[in-house]
Amino acid sequence: MIAELATLLVTCVLINNVILNQFLGMCPFMGVSKKTSSAVGMGIAVVFVIVVASIVTYGLYYLVLVPLGLEFMDLITFILVIASLVQLTEMFIKKTSPSLYKSLGVYLPLITTNCVVLNVCLANISNGFDFIHMLVYSVGTPLGFALVLYIFSTIRERLELSEVPSAFKGNSIALIVAAIMALAFSGFAGLV
Amino acid sequence: MKYILAILFFGAMVGIYIFLYLMNKKTPLPEGCEDLKVDCSGCHDFGCTNHPAHHLKKEELQ
Repeated sequence: MIAELATLLVTCVLINNVILNQFLGMCPFMGVSKKTSSAVGMGIAVVFVIVVASIVTYGLYYLVLVPLGLEFMDLITFILVIASLVQLTEMFIKKTSPSLYKSLGVYLPLITTNCVVLNVCLANISNGFDFIHMLVYSVGTPLGFALVLYIFSTIRERLELSEVPSAFKGNSIALIVAAIMALAFSGFAGLV
Repeated sequence: MKYILAILFFGAMVGIYIFLYLMNKKTPLPEGCEDLKVDCSGCHDFGCTNHPAHHLKKEELQ
């Protein structure tokens, strides 16, 4: 059981990485990766929201939607749950921890439109995970997102100091770097 | 009956979202966080409220 969970975790973080393998969450990947501090803030916020959203949507699906025969409402329900959770989290952080709001608050509204969150919630259901597997998957996927975002931001910070040909400046060179990273990460495929 | 339940459930979810949105809007920002902005250079999605074009003044746009 533990070996299976460890395999699932490694798969989520490295092999089926949500950015480099599934090409989800590209907006924050390109938009919030210019500074390492921003990337870390976004990464932490995404991990927090995905774990909470997964637990709530998983419970809602099996305790409310399935007994009422409303499984077809999963997509619209999950979108509303994610949007509501982001509002609740923002309000809670505003009231309890101003310092945390200063570092994370600005990223929270962005997460509502981050397709990684919805993907994880829907995958938990479509893969038929039990609660433990759902929890591991919901922690592993955003960890992979945060890891790649952090690595990418460190590379982009160094790129700012490099002499890049004018035709490749900005998002062009960033996309080439992302492609090389995706190739490098594909080497993990033989790990499990 | 199933579809009535679905409409009621959807209405309840939307109601919860609107309530939380209004509550969040009413909650005052902590000190020093009044002018926080995402450090985003902007892609070509002008619909995104974090696009730098939304923070430019009218004179700067012209």
